[in-house]
Amino acid sequence: MALLELHDVKKSFGDKQVLKGLNFEVPEGSIFGFVGENGAGKTTTMKMILGLETIDSGNILIDGTKVHYGNSNINREIEYLPDVPEYYGYMNPTEYLTLCGQLTGIPKRDLPNKIVKMLKTVDLPINKRRIHGFSRGMKQRLGIAQALLNSPRLLICDEPTSALDPIGRSEFLSLLASLKGKTTIIFSTHILNDVERISDRVGILHDGILKANDSLDNLKQQYAKSQIIFEFESNALAQRANQIIGPKSILKQRKVILNYEDDYHTNAESALKLLLKNHLVPISMKSQETSLEDIFMEVTS
Amino acid sequence: MNNTDIFMNNLPLFIPLILLEVILDVAALVHIFRHKNYRVGNRLLWVLLTLLFNPIGAILYFIIGRETY
Amino acid sequence: MRNTWFFIRKESLESLRSYHLLIIAIVFIIFGIEGPLMAKLTPDILKMASSSSFTIKMPDPTSIDAWQQYYKNMTQIGIFVLVVIFSGTVSGEVSRGTLVNLVTKGLSRYSIIIAKYFVAYMQWCFAILITFLINWAYTAYYFPDNKTPNVWSGMSLLIIFGLMFVAVTIFGSTLSNSNYMGFLTAVVVFIILTLLNLFKEFKHYNPIALVTDNMSLIKGTKQIDTIMPAIWITIVSSIVIIYLAILILNKKRL
Repeated sequence: MALLELHDVKKSFGDKQVLKGLNFEVPEGSIFGFVGENGAGKTTTMKMILGLETIDSGNILIDGTKVHYGNSNINREIEYLPDVPEYYGYMNPTEYLTLCGQLTGIPKRDLPNKIVKMLKTVDLPINKRRIHGFSRGMKQRLGIAQALLNSPRLLICDEPTSALDPIGRSEFLSLLASLKGKTTIIFSTHILNDVERISDRVGILHDGILKANDSLDNLKQQYAKSQIIFEFESNALAQRANQIIGPKSILKQRKVILNYEDDYHTNAESALKLLLKNHLVPISMKSQETSLEDIFMEVTS
Repeated sequence: MNNTDIFMNNLPLFIPLILLEVILDVAALVHIFRHKNYRVGNRLLWVLLTLLFNPIGAILYFIIGRETY
Repeated sequence: MRNTWFFIRKESLESLRSYHLLIIAIVFIIFGIEGPLMAKLTPDILKMASSSSFTIKMPDPTSIDAWQQYYKNMTQIGIFVLVVIFSGTVSGEVSRGTLVNLVTKGLSRYSIIIAKYFVAYMQWCFAILITFLINWAYTAYYFPDNKTPNVWSGMSLLIIFGLMFVAVTIFGSTLSNSNYMGFLTAVVVFIILTLLNLFKEFKHYNPIALVTDNMSLIKGTKQIDTIMPAIWITIVSSIVIIYLAILILNKKRL
């Protein structure tokens, strides 16, 4: 069953219609990568799911309950990690997490242990140092801690990896991946690598609607654009090779790109045979699989 | 009757008053020197205001000059 | 309701760590000492200022002078210092975005307003009382006369006036993201109420009586009954204003 459903959700800011009827569902336990250009409406969509933004028309249902603006009754099961989390700088992390835990209704006796465990998980020091001296990365990690403290059913992360260094990013992604099955996660990003690494579903938001919404494998099949790239020593050689291999290839300076369908083996073999028969020996040859980037480019172009 | 007499006659009033203003000024100066950024103005301005205008300078610093976080 | 309590604790910690409580304590202790001090010094200062050939016969200062100084300090400076301190309480959080996390965790917006109102009002009472007690102690020591029999009634009016004045400040603070809006709103309301006092028919109902009639009350020349309507209006309007502040925050994008 879908934990989150959006039905024909529309939203305008002034004259500009940002969302033109958004429809999608996120099944319970999945990790949903929400991709789109800057300004496509990802943050707006997330804020509407959280009840922090008004909905012009349409419905958002969480576990079958309609979301109302400003209403936080169902919010206890949802946690949010904003792109730039803001805290009370005069508190230390333990104090802040205590406030968060109290508000989400974690029993008093469980709270101190939970907080210590969570601070260790996100690798923040457990001392009296106040938040206002924290770096962006530390604030981001505190953001993860506050979001995961209550083991939410639905976790919504807005560009969670943008402030982290490569190591922090990798750790964060593993942390998200480890929640798979227990927590439904929606996370927006423009770093497509992150999505490929952990998502089982991808939604591509473009032009106010969800242009694609499927599992990564299905998308790859749907937008399959398998290629073999041959590289030659000179432009002249590449040009000859391009003529020989035939209509399905494209010439790009010293490279010849062959688009194919079906099986790699048969296609590569026949192409190579043709080339060798004409004494054209490529200096490199590689097979390129469809990446999310290709799919993204194709969907949004 | 001169100034010293007035001061000595009203010691129970003057001592706590002076003490408080000193505490406030010291607290403000310590805070000013321990922070680099201010919501309004700069370090020199706040040090001068605190020292010259007692106790308004220090109060103003804590209310509008101190960086909030 | 539990969340309101948790947010009250957060607000109290904030008041402590942001030095607000310290400033209030020091400023209002200074005001408390200043009342009797000015009352005692005024004759001496005048004596020094006048040339020695004249000997002005100054009446000895009384408790009335000390209390007059207290109400002057409180109603002309004191309450505005408080309002400046409370001014950014909602706007600051909205403009910085610190409420987003907490609201998504289930903190109701009305809890935010009620907790902020409560903690700000507690600080108001603390300020009024600390000045009052110090002034009272010194006055009893230096001017042990019986010209001011009803000291409590004058002060309690300031306490009641705070209900409305703090509410107005919080309301103003929800109106815009500027940290000065709360202060401005309070000042504008104060001016309007002062102007309304020009009309005789309004005087009994005007909350401003709570900060202008204090001296006549403690001297006993005026009875509290005569301003009861103004007291009731103050209390009722504070509830209405806080309700409006909640309605505005409910609609506000955090």
